[in-house]
Amino acid sequence: MKKKPRKKDSEDKQHTLADLLKKHGAQIYDDLDKGNFPKFSIPSRSVSNIVYDKKIRQYILGANTAVRSSRNTSQLRAFTQLMWLAFFANRLTGQKKSSTLRDVYYSSQAFEVDFEDQSESDNIIVDLEAVLASPRESFHVFPEERSSVFGDLTIEYTVPGYEGKKTNLSDHPDGYAIGPSLTSSEFTETSAEVVIAIEKGGLFTRFVEEQVDKKFKAIIVDTGGQAPRSTRTLLKRLHDELSLPVVILTDGDVYGEHIAMVIKSGSANAAHLRELTVPDAKWVGVWATDIEKYKLPTIPMTESDIKRCHDLLKDPRYQEGIWKKELEVFLKIKRKAELEAFSKYGLTNITDKYLPQKLEIAKSL
Amino acid sequence: MSSKETFSQISPSEFFYRNRDLAGFSNPTRSLYTAVREFVENSLDACDQKGILADVHMSIKAVDAEKPDPKQYILTVRDNGPGIESNHVPLAFGTVLYGSKFGLKQARGMFGLGATMAILYGQITTNKPVNVKSSTDGKTQDEYEMLLDIQKNKPVILRHETKEVSKTGLSVSICLEGDYAKAGSKIRDYVYQTSLITPYATITFDDPKGEKYRYTKVIRTMPPSPTVIRPHPHGIDVETIRRMLLDTHYQIPAVDDNMISKVRKELGLANKNLSHSEIMDKTQKKWKTLTRSVRIVMALVSFLKMDFEKLSKTTIEEIDIGNKKLTYWDFGESQSISVDMDPESFYYKQLANTVQGETLTSFLTKRFQRVGPTTALKFAEYAKFKPEHRIGTMTNQELVKLTDGLQSFDDFMAPDPSCLAPLGESPLKKGMERFFEPDFLEVVQRGASAYSGFPFVIEMGIAYGGKISSRGMKVYRFANRIPLLYDEGSDVVLKVVNDTDWSRYKVKGDPPLVIVSHICSTRVPYKTVGKENVADRPEIERELKLALLSLSRKLSSFMSKRGQAEAAIKRKNLYSKYIPLIAQFCTELAGKKKEPNYKKMITEEPIVEKET
Repeated sequence: MKKKPRKKDSEDKQHTLADLLKKHGAQIYDDLDKGNFPKFSIPSRSVSNIVYDKKIRQYILGANTAVRSSRNTSQLRAFTQLMWLAFFANRLTGQKKSSTLRDVYYSSQAFEVDFEDQSESDNIIVDLEAVLASPRESFHVFPEERSSVFGDLTIEYTVPGYEGKKTNLSDHPDGYAIGPSLTSSEFTETSAEVVIAIEKGGLFTRFVEEQVDKKFKAIIVDTGGQAPRSTRTLLKRLHDELSLPVVILTDGDVYGEHIAMVIKSGSANAAHLRELTVPDAKWVGVWATDIEKYKLPTIPMTESDIKRCHDLLKDPRYQEGIWKKELEVFLKIKRKAELEAFSKYGLTNITDKYLPQKLEIAKSL
Repeated sequence: MSSKETFSQISPSEFFYRNRDLAGFSNPTRSLYTAVREFVENSLDACDQKGILADVHMSIKAVDAEKPDPKQYILTVRDNGPGIESNHVPLAFGTVLYGSKFGLKQARGMFGLGATMAILYGQITTNKPVNVKSSTDGKTQDEYEMLLDIQKNKPVILRHETKEVSKTGLSVSICLEGDYAKAGSKIRDYVYQTSLITPYATITFDDPKGEKYRYTKVIRTMPPSPTVIRPHPHGIDVETIRRMLLDTHYQIPAVDDNMISKVRKELGLANKNLSHSEIMDKTQKKWKTLTRSVRIVMALVSFLKMDFEKLSKTTIEEIDIGNKKLTYWDFGESQSISVDMDPESFYYKQLANTVQGETLTSFLTKRFQRVGPTTALKFAEYAKFKPEHRIGTMTNQELVKLTDGLQSFDDFMAPDPSCLAPLGESPLKKGMERFFEPDFLEVVQRGASAYSGFPFVIEMGIAYGGKISSRGMKVYRFANRIPLLYDEGSDVVLKVVNDTDWSRYKVKGDPPLVIVSHICSTRVPYKTVGKENVADRPEIERELKLALLSLSRKLSSFMSKRGQAEAAIKRKNLYSKYIPLIAQFCTELAGKKKEPNYKKMITEEPIVEKET
C-alpha cells in the first residue's frame, strides 16, 4: 500500500527562519544607528523555568525571559557571539551549507569572535535555538553522530547538487545514514505501515537480515542509543507527514525506558524546542514485566540504575501507565535484560516471536 | 646589694666579652649587622638630640676583597652631629657602661652600650684598634686610635692627633670580622627602612661591592624633640621606688667650715660673733628665707646650744626621733654626747620632717607625673596609707605594698606623652612618598595612649599602587624610629593587619600595598631579646586597629573611585571591540549595505559616577 505524503513545505520554513533572522538583525541595526545599545530577550533556560506541559506532553520553558543587553559589559561578549551565530546561521541557510557544532566553534575564529572552548559555542547555539524557537538543524547545524534508517521509503533530495534526485531507503542493506541531506529531503513514496525504532545497531542489522521491513511493512530506524536530534526529527516527520505509528524497542532497563521517553516527549535540555517529539510513539519493550514473562537471562541492576529509577519516578511523565508500572517492577526485581537476551531462544526468536506479539500489543496501548 | 658584689669581681668589659651573644654579636653575619645598627643609631640619636638634621655616611670595605666570607671588614660611620668632647672620647669609646642616655624619654638606643660592644667585638676578632675622629666646635678635630683593656675596662690610647676641620661631627671606624655575603641584604634593608622613617636625614651607604646607596633628606624641619619627664606611677617597681627614696632623704649635713660660712652668710652674721640666743633670734626672723640645709643646721644648733666655734668641732652622729635624742661626737673631748630634744619645739618638727622624709602625698605629687594633691589623697585611701605617712620610715613590706598600689590604682591620669617623639604625619607622608610614589597615600597619628604606665603613640601610613612593585601586602614595622626587620610573623602589627578583612575595603588578590607602622614609646614591649617583634599588649593592639581602620576606610573610598574609573576604561575597551562586530553582523542580517552609525557609542568618554 502506497501512501501519499502530506505536503510539507520546508522551503516555507526556511523562509520563516530567514525572515526571523532578518527581523532581529534589522531591529539591532536600527538600535545601533540611533546610538542605542541593542538588547533582546531569551527565554530563560534555568531549571526553575523548565515546566512540564501536560497538554503537549513534553517539557517546555516557562514565561521567564532573560534580557541580554549589549550595554552590560558582562553580557556584551555573549551578545556579540550570539549575533555572530545568527549571522553565520543566515549564511549557512542562505548558501545551503551544513555545519556541525565543532565547525561552528572553528568558524568563529575567522571573525574575531572568540569562544573559549567548544562548550561555550555550543551554549550560544542553544541560545539561538531558544530565540528562534527552532532546533539547530533548521539553521543547518547538525550533530556529528549518525544513526541509520532502512525500509521502503523513497525520498527526493533538496540539498544543493542533488536536487530532484530520488533514492529508496531499502536499496542498501546497511541502511542509510540519517544526515542533513536525508532529514531535509522530501518523502515521496512509501509502502510502510509502521516505524520501528530500535536502540541497537546489532539488532538493526538482524532486523534487516530477517526482512522485518517486508514482513511487517516497517521502516526500521537505529537510534544508536539515545536518539540524536536528527533521528528524532526524522521520526517526527515519518509520523506527522506519513501518519505512521512509531514503536520503540530498547534494552530492558531504566535507560532503555528513558530512551523511549525522550523520543516520545523530549528532554529537559531541549525544553525550548517543540519539534523534536513524537508524543504518540509507543514503547513496546523490553519491559520489566517481559523479563519474567519471557524468562530472559538477566544481569543485576547497578546502584546507579536503581538511583535512576528513583529519580525518574519523580518525573511527571512517569506518573502513569506502563511508564510508572515498569519502573516499579524494575525496582522490585532489581534485574535487567538486554535485547540480545532473546538469542537464548535462537537468533531469530526476537523477530519471529517477540516482535509480532509486541506489535499486536502496541495497537492497544 | 649582694648580687652587685658578685659581678664586681669582673669588669663590665669582661662581662660583656663573655656574654657578647646577648648583645647581638654571636656570629660574623649577625655581628656585622648589629655593629652597623649601633653606629648608625648612635649618630642619628646624637643629631636628634641637638636638633641637627643628620647626614650619616656609612661604608663597609673588605680588608682583602679576594678572601671568601667571613673575613675582615672596615666599618666606618661618619656624621655631622655634635661630636664628643675630646677628653670624653677615650672613656666613651674605650670603656663599657659609659653613656649619656639615662633618663625617661624616647630614644633609639638605651645607654649607648652597643657602640662600645661593637668596638669590643672588632678588637676581639681582628686585634685592630678603633679609630675615632671628633669635632665639637667645627674648627679642631681630635683623632684617637685606641684599644680597650678588657680586664681593667680602660682605654689604651695608641695615637692622638688634632687637626683643623670645617665641620662638627663624629667618625668611628672599626675593623671587624663579618660576613657581608650573608648580612648584606639585611644591612641594605636596614638602611632603606631607616631612611623611610627618618626622612629628615640623609643616609648613604657604600657597600663592599662598590654599590652606592643614597637616600637624601626630603624634609628640612626636625620633628619636635621629646622632653625628659618624671615617671608615671603605673610604670614603677620596688627597686625604682627605693632609689627615688634614697635621693629624697636629706643627708644630715656635715657642719664643716664651708657649711658654717654658708650659715653665717644666710643669717647675715658677717663676721660678728653673737651669742647662742642672739643667733637663734636671727634664725627665727630669717627662717623663711633660709635654704633647707641651713635650716637643718640651725635646728640642730637649737638643741646643741653651742656657738659656731664649738659647732665646727663636732660631728652629728645620730638623730633619734623616736627617743628624742641627738647624739654628737665632740672632737675636743673625744667622746659621744647625747642631748634630749624637746618634742614640742618648732625645731624638733623640722628635724623630724627631714629625717623621716616627705609625707606620702608630697612625695607622690612632687616625684611623679600627673599626680595632684587630690589624686594623692585618693590613692592613700585606696592603698590604705595615711596621707601624712613619712616615706622615710617605710619598711620593706610597706614599700612593696606601696608599689603594688601604685601599679594597680586606676585613677591616675594617662602618662604624659611629651617624652615621646613620633615622626608626625607630614614627615611620614613625605618619607613614604619618596620611596613608593604611590597612587594613594594616607597617614595617621593616633593620640597618646599608655600601657602599664608607659606612654605610647601609634603612627601609621598606607600606600597603594604607583611604584610599589611588590605583589601582595608589605608591612614595614618601626619602633622608636628603628626598623624591625625580622620575626615579623609573631608581631602584633602583623596580627592586626592579618586580622583585617581586606575585601571589605575593596582590596583583593595580591595588591601593591604598603603599610608603615611606627610605635613610639619610652618602653616598647618587645617579645624577645632580639627586639624584632612587638608583643600584643591589648592597649597597643587597640590603637593599631583604630589607626588601620581609619586608613583602610580612606583606602576603600579611593579603591572604589579607582574601580569606577577602571571599569569605565574597561567598558570603553569592550565597546570598541565588540560593537563594530555587532554592527558588521547585523548589517548583513538586516540585508543592508551600509553599516549603522555606531561610532559615537564607542568614542564618547565613559561616564564615571560622581563621588557621593
